[in-house]
This record gives sequence, structure tokens and C-alpha cells, in this order.
Amino acid sequence: MNLLVLYLLLLKATLTSVSGLGSLPMVRQDFVVTRHVITDHQLNTAVVAGRTGPGPYGIYLVCVAYAVAGIPGALVGFLATITPAFLVIPLMHWVGAHANKPRVRGAVQALMLASAGLLLFASVPLARDAIVGPLTLVLAAISFVVISFTRAESMWVMFAAAAVGLVARLFVA
Amino acid sequence: MILTRAAKQGCLRLELKLPPDDSTSPQPVLAKPTLSQITWPFFRIGNTTFGGGYITMIVLGRELVDRLKWITRDDFALAFALARVTPGTNIIAFCAAAGMILRGFVGAVSAVVAVTLPSAALAVVLMQSFETWQNRPLVMAALAATVAAVTGAMWSTVWMLTRPHIGKWKQTLRAVVFMAGACGAAWWGVTPVPIIVGALVLGYLWPTPAFEKEAE
Repeated sequence: MNLLVLYLLLLKATLTSVSGLGSLPMVRQDFVVTRHVITDHQLNTAVVAGRTGPGPYGIYLVCVAYAVAGIPGALVGFLATITPAFLVIPLMHWVGAHANKPRVRGAVQALMLASAGLLLFASVPLARDAIVGPLTLVLAAISFVVISFTRAESMWVMFAAAAVGLVARLFVA
Repeated sequence: MILTRAAKQGCLRLELKLPPDDSTSPQPVLAKPTLSQITWPFFRIGNTTFGGGYITMIVLGRELVDRLKWITRDDFALAFALARVTPGTNIIAFCAAAGMILRGFVGAVSAVVAVTLPSAALAVVLMQSFETWQNRPLVMAALAATVAAVTGAMWSTVWMLTRPHIGKWKQTLRAVVFMAGACGAAWWGVTPVPIIVGALVLGYLWPTPAFEKEAE
């Protein structure tokens, strides 16, 4: 894939989201569904890589770009990930005049809710790829509960899940 | 300074959970740090703090406001609030705003790169490792279990985005309408961009009940 196209597609995904994983539906639509340049499994692996290490969750986009176009792709993905952040600078000027208006705040909240709905929808095929038996179903449910309702860091949840997977594999073998 | 001026105008509802400020006098801010000085805390904290952007922003806030005293509590609060409405990843926008306060545009670039570049490189190494080891059954078993946990983490993100909008019935109804509308439109094959734009327009036309009350 052309690196400029890759950059623009990733930029579109980041510009239309307001959280690290909020870009996931757009990324899946463009790279998995429309262009078939990565699979759901690769997308899942990219999200795992992004969430396992430190730093922003949005870094998974660099892994997606790496899966598409190697190291040059990763560099392009890095640029696409950080570009929207600089919108905060003009926003500082604009916000002074408009951010307190109820309708503007209502629009921002609606954006977040729609992002949540899209993320929920995008999680269905990814879950279909990830949940392949009772063990993975239980792990997904426990992960949701622990991350949502406790202060546990998601990295430890990922490591614990990996350990359970290893033990289960050894036990079955 | 732009941020301080905007903060004084009281133009944002600040949602900040820093430790309480015991002092009643204005917080003193020390001399402007150099570029290399400001890069270090962003590099150190951004690449060693696990748990996502919100936690990293709080830890950075403690460092920049309470320990180093480079920025005021008001500046931090405004950067935090703006980061939440800036497209993309919140923590990266927060770093751009904080870096802008400290050293202008060069400071913003420096802070953003310091926070993201090392963790991006590590993520690529992890991705490559997963790909390389995909034929090893034990590694794949661990990866499959981790991918299942990531699915739970995704649902957790949905919950995190939704939870603040669930309360009184009008507010909850609004949340359900927007979420279900987005899901339904996606199910009917509408791509995300029109859904996002539609949500922005409808959200503008239909403010939340709490906001309507404030406007009165």
C-alpha cells in the first residue's frame, strides 16, 4: 500500500475518534473489510501489542501500519498517531469562545457516545475471532470486569491471561 | 499565556482528580525549564506508566504541578480538559498542550515525541515477536488467551465511555439513542465517518438535559 494512502487512512481514523481504541472501528473498516490488507487476527495482535507495553493505547496504530507496510509503515503510523494531538493548540484559541456552550458540549458528548457504539459494534467480529471456547469466553468476561471495576492495570490482566493460556495448554497437552 | 487566559475566562468544565490543593495562596511557578529538562519527565513517566492515558495524565500532573512546579494547577486542568475533546489519543494531546505551555510549539513536539516514540518502538518489537513465534503452540496459546482478554478490555473501553452518561432517565435515554443509533447504522453498512458526523450534528441539536438547565 502507498505510504501516503496509509497515512491518510490512519489519520482519518485518529481524527474521527477521541480515545485510544476509538479509532478501531474505522481501522477495521478500512484495512480489514474494504482493502483486505490485514486480517482480524492481525488487528487483534496489534491491539495486544499496543496494550501490553507502556504508553498510550493508541500506539496500536503503529503496529497496524507495521503489519501493512513494515518499518516504513510503522514510521507513517507513528506520524498519523501523533498528528491530531497538535490540534489541541488551535483548540486552545477556539475553546475560549465556544467550549462552554451547551450545544457544543452536547455535540462532543454525542461524539463520545457514537464512538462507544461503533467500538461495541467493531468488537463483535474481533470477539468472534478471539473467543473460541469456554476458556477464552471466561477470560474475556473476567478481563472486562477487572478492568472496568477495579484499579488493576490492564497490563497485568494481559499477563495473567497469557499465564492462564500457557497453563491451560500445558495441562491439556 | 493562552491556556491561563482561557482558564480565567472559565470556559471549560474542568474534570480533574488531582490531590487536593491545601494552599490558599496562588501556586508559585518556578523559572521556565529548558527543552531537555522538560523532555525528561515526559519520557520517563510516559514510557514507564502502565494502565492507559488517564493514569499517565494524573501521574504527569503530580510531577509537573506538585513536584516540579513548572505549570499551575489551572494550566494543568485546562490541558487535561482540552485533551479529552481533541481528536486522537487523549494523553498525546495532553502532552502537546503541556509542552506548549512550557516551551511553545517546540516544547509540544518534544513532549509528544518523548511520550510516544519509545513505546511505539516497543509495541512494534512486541508485534514482530508475536508474528515470529506464531508457529509455537505455547506462545500461540498465551497469545490467544491475551487476545481474549483484549476483547474484554475493548468492552471495558465502551463502558468507560458510556458510564458518565448514564444517570437520570433523560440522560440515559440520550446515551442509549446515540449508542444504539451508531450500532444500528454500522449494522446497516453505514461507514464510521457519516455516523460520527451525524452524531455531532444531532448532539448539537439535542443538548443533554443538564446542559439545557445550565443554559437557562
